[in-house]
Amino acid sequence: MPLRSTSAAYLRHAGDLAGNPGQQAAYDSRGHCVVLAGPGSGKTKTLVLKLARILAEDVRAPRGVACITYSQECARELTRRLEALGLRDAPNLFVGTVHGFCLRHILTPYARLAGLAVPYPLTLATTRQTDSAFKQVAERLLGVGQPYKTHDMGKYRRIHLDRDAPDWESDPDLARITEGYEAALRRAGLIDFDDLVIFGNRLVSDHDWVLPAIQARWPVLAVDEYQDLGVPLHRIVERLAFDGGVRLFAVGDADQSVYGFAGADGALLLELAQRDDVEAVQLQLNYRSAGRIIRASELALGEARGYQPHDPGRQAVIEFTERPGGLEDQAAHVVENLIPAALAAKPGRTLGDIAILYRAASVGDVFADSLTAAGYDYIRVDNAAPYKKVGLTSWIEDCAAWCAGGWRTGRPQLAGLISRWTGFRSGRPDEREARRMALALTSFLSDHRADEGAAAPFVTAIRRALVDPLTASERSLADQREQVRRMSEALAEGGKLEGLDLKSLGGRDGSPTHVNLLTLHSAKGCEYDVVIMVGMDMGAMPWRRETENELRESRRLFYVGLTRARDAVHMLYSGWIPGRYGAQRLGRSPFVEELEERLVAAEEDE
Amino acid sequence: MVGRVRISKIKIDNFANFSEFEIETGDNLVVVGENKVGKSNLIFALQLILDPGLSERDRQLGLEHFWDGLGDHKLGAVIEIVIELTDFEDDPRLLAHLGDCIVDPGPPMVSRLTYRFQPKADLDGHPQSMADYEYILFGGLDPDNAMRPRLRRMLPIDVLAALRDAEKDLATWRHSPLRPLIEGLTAGLDEDDRAAIQEAVDTAQNTLAERDEVQSVAQIISDRLQEMVGPAHATPISLGITPTRIDALLRALRLLIDGGARGIADASLGTANLIFLALKSLELDRLVGEGERDHTFLAVEEPEAHLHPHVQRLVYRHFLAEPDDEADEDEDAEGEGNEDPASATRLTTILTTHSPHIASIAPLRSLVLLRRDGEGDRTVGFSTANTPLTEADEADLQRYIDVTRGELFFARGVILVEGDAERFLVPAFAEALDIPLDHRGISVCSVGGTNFGPYVRLLGPDGLSIPYVVLTDRDPVEAGPPLARGRVQKLLEIVEPGPVYDDLADAAIFRRGERHNIFVNTRTLEPELFGAGLARRMGEILKSELPLRRAGREAIDGWVAAPATVNVDRLLSLIERVGKGRFAQRLAAGATERRCPAYIRAALERIRDAVA
Repeated sequence: MPLRSTSAAYLRHAGDLAGNPGQQAAYDSRGHCVVLAGPGSGKTKTLVLKLARILAEDVRAPRGVACITYSQECARELTRRLEALGLRDAPNLFVGTVHGFCLRHILTPYARLAGLAVPYPLTLATTRQTDSAFKQVAERLLGVGQPYKTHDMGKYRRIHLDRDAPDWESDPDLARITEGYEAALRRAGLIDFDDLVIFGNRLVSDHDWVLPAIQARWPVLAVDEYQDLGVPLHRIVERLAFDGGVRLFAVGDADQSVYGFAGADGALLLELAQRDDVEAVQLQLNYRSAGRIIRASELALGEARGYQPHDPGRQAVIEFTERPGGLEDQAAHVVENLIPAALAAKPGRTLGDIAILYRAASVGDVFADSLTAAGYDYIRVDNAAPYKKVGLTSWIEDCAAWCAGGWRTGRPQLAGLISRWTGFRSGRPDEREARRMALALTSFLSDHRADEGAAAPFVTAIRRALVDPLTASERSLADQREQVRRMSEALAEGGKLEGLDLKSLGGRDGSPTHVNLLTLHSAKGCEYDVVIMVGMDMGAMPWRRETENELRESRRLFYVGLTRARDAVHMLYSGWIPGRYGAQRLGRSPFVEELEERLVAAEEDE
Repeated sequence: MVGRVRISKIKIDNFANFSEFEIETGDNLVVVGENKVGKSNLIFALQLILDPGLSERDRQLGLEHFWDGLGDHKLGAVIEIVIELTDFEDDPRLLAHLGDCIVDPGPPMVSRLTYRFQPKADLDGHPQSMADYEYILFGGLDPDNAMRPRLRRMLPIDVLAALRDAEKDLATWRHSPLRPLIEGLTAGLDEDDRAAIQEAVDTAQNTLAERDEVQSVAQIISDRLQEMVGPAHATPISLGITPTRIDALLRALRLLIDGGARGIADASLGTANLIFLALKSLELDRLVGEGERDHTFLAVEEPEAHLHPHVQRLVYRHFLAEPDDEADEDEDAEGEGNEDPASATRLTTILTTHSPHIASIAPLRSLVLLRRDGEGDRTVGFSTANTPLTEADEADLQRYIDVTRGELFFARGVILVEGDAERFLVPAFAEALDIPLDHRGISVCSVGGTNFGPYVRLLGPDGLSIPYVVLTDRDPVEAGPPLARGRVQKLLEIVEPGPVYDDLADAAIFRRGERHNIFVNTRTLEPELFGAGLARRMGEILKSELPLRRAGREAIDGWVAAPATVNVDRLLSLIERVGKGRFAQRLAAGATERRCPAYIRAALERIRDAVA
């Protein structure tokens, strides 16, 4: 018997795909495949089953599959779904961000051999270090009060990969800043996140010998949310797939490309899909939303996509509500009317099925205060969240979930927690060290099992026993340590999450007792019964004076929000936004305006 | 030919007999050396890196494993064993195993695996005992890049130790290399076949049990029981065979020899070992075939212990054979991430031996010679993997070594001569000069002609580094320089490349040759001997060996009386009629110190000093 470290559970689920030709075609693909997946079309399920099938049928360790995701959170969700199929984090399965892949599987093994000018050992700069390097360089070059922000430089670096090409000088200021910034980091022996991908691209572009080595280890490369991943990754993918013989399985939706401001470009996905040597598969059936919401979302996008509801008979609510009293008034409407009504409308519906979506974190503050005042708990995901979801904070949350009862059902799995834990070490720990770490974690977790209990002492304990000693010795975790510190702060007296219990810490994403409060960007990939889009006023959605490209991206963002809903969408606006000199009456969002008009017209036609 | 993964370099420091030991190696390794020179330690060094069966405790070495030359400085020293592997980049599975251990992107790519036994990283100050030591195993250059256990499992070293008990291993089911084959057979039988066999066995058993003779014995027993305790207490008795399940039958299959007449326990030790090796070889094929392994390094220690010489040669020819073409991977099957099961015999054979029989069949490039260095406190290694030999050289040497059974490899010094005459006479003169060659480990090798080049390359510093001298005839010709001139010049171009020799006078070339251990006489061996005081004896041999006419005998007598008058051509043709070898053999008895030609004496003294 050939040794397989995989489970056959996927076979039981694979039958579900039979009724959906797109999903089936993707599942059966043998060569390069691009899956163009509309909202709610079961793309994650397709991806997960395909990964399971490849692991079981197409590759055998040490050869494996690398699955690149947009964020740490997406990786976590995929891992969770794979675990449900009995697929553990195996050594020949990589699920992680493009940064993680470049660091661990491209730069660490090969950068030094290729003579790449990066400092060794590879050490990631913390946000504080990158911010201060940028500020110093930019102010030295352009003076105090210079107009650029770090993300301007970030986008410039991601878009202009070829430093010898003429367009590198298209913005001489940013080119100078970038060069100075990179030099400053190198002097400090550091690289930043963008460097990982930029150097990764340089390595695979300039050194042919790396291709077979990567192909040998990762004969299949899967990419989720391709539209959000930007030019450097696209170059790496092209090089590996079309020069290096790596088989590509890419999933994405250009309509949901909302990271153009960071250098992403949905057109890259379509470019891939149009290649002759790539099988392009469309997923048209929407399992999530009621038909009316699907129609509305296509109207909002302004493009006919031909998406079909899985269940044509389902009814939907789409409401446009003006609350002239501003955001506070909108919040009052949410708290007093919409939430109670939503809960009453469908038996079994919980607070966790309701999401409030907004564009800017400051809007979230207003709603957070109102919810708190009305006695609702909430989960908030945006830049103003008390701490960022990074590898370590997510892992602590999952440890909390395990201790708070997850151990009974194996959700999350202990083995997964252990392998993530040992994976925080930058080098590959040897067997004994890995066993020692696993033992320490297992005994800690088993000692801290508690159905009731507060999160704060748990976090203090896990930090003292495990996390702090590790972060003290691992320079690569410096930035994550900062987020762990914030987590503690938020849980401490006077913090934003004071009094949170263990279970809720573990269930920070998706708890039935918490309303979801998140930005439109953060809502990508999520779904809720009821979606309440707030602050839909001109000047916020879109911002004033957006360029055409920005306007298109704002529209896609609006589309993303709309397509999160299963049963109901509420659009809230006031007709004005607060300005420096008082209210600016610019009217409601043109997207809302347009949508309501088109919807009315379309439904009158029927 | 697609390369197959091989060990290309072994470096060992401060371990056992080895200090700053480094060799480059070829496809297979045939490790040749005297007892106690460290052959087994070399294998153990490879096991520390590649053997999945070694426990953590085995890898945690003791003070006794440190190189003795460290004296009182063992504590604090670091043991390091490094192997480099190459020729794997055409096989994606091997590349996946070794891809993140690359130290040279090549081509060919080179990956490195390191075992290091060192004072613990977090230790303050000097280590006090072995408890302060730890080992690390890592790939590439970065000690944090711990070696994956999977790599060791999929590319393991299997060691067949020198004094194993093949018979016992065959007899115990658990260890028997026969077991997987039988288990494979068991799994391969379908339900119908199983039922048919089961039925045949049951029928045979019943036939036996139902025979009258059997039944009557049962009756006798029953009757006696009844007599003893009466019908109330006696249980009815019958004779039969408990039903045998087919799996038990299959497990009861035993190896038989001599047409099924005898079991393996009755086989000679040699036969048992032979069968054991055959089964082992099948098992390795199976492990690779079923994807449990991607490559095997099979180390067999001192196979000569149990096999007859001619069988040794045959068996190890099999293990050392070059991979044949059909064994190569079908590259087309491998693409776009869809894998076919591994095929091919993926085996690197590593033999240790002090048997010239095995050394002689070793592919020339696979030789690794171990010997003590000058001070005798460490073992040094030499290999032929990268000796600059042409293909013709290689073929030439291989033929020669096969014939002479590889005694060359065991020599501490070598005297290279042209033919059989020297082969008999040189040892005789050596004896006369009190330089007993056997004692000193000096071999006389006849190259059968004058093509000394391949031997000089093989023995030189880029090869086995064995001290040698060359004895060759001047071979004057009527017109032009003697033949030896070009011969010596070619050798000089090998041993001291660089200078332009063309313009040098013959005498200068010969002087220079002598500095490089190439000794030339004044004519040809036999006339030289004739003039050196052996004339009378040579004349007698010729006269007794050949049916000569009177005129011939008188001519010989004339030459003996006045050796300067000898007709060289006639003398040589007479000797050739006897046969140079036979002639020399008879002449050898007359060798004395006084009669030793000067060039032979100089060469013998040179080699004596070199091996001292």
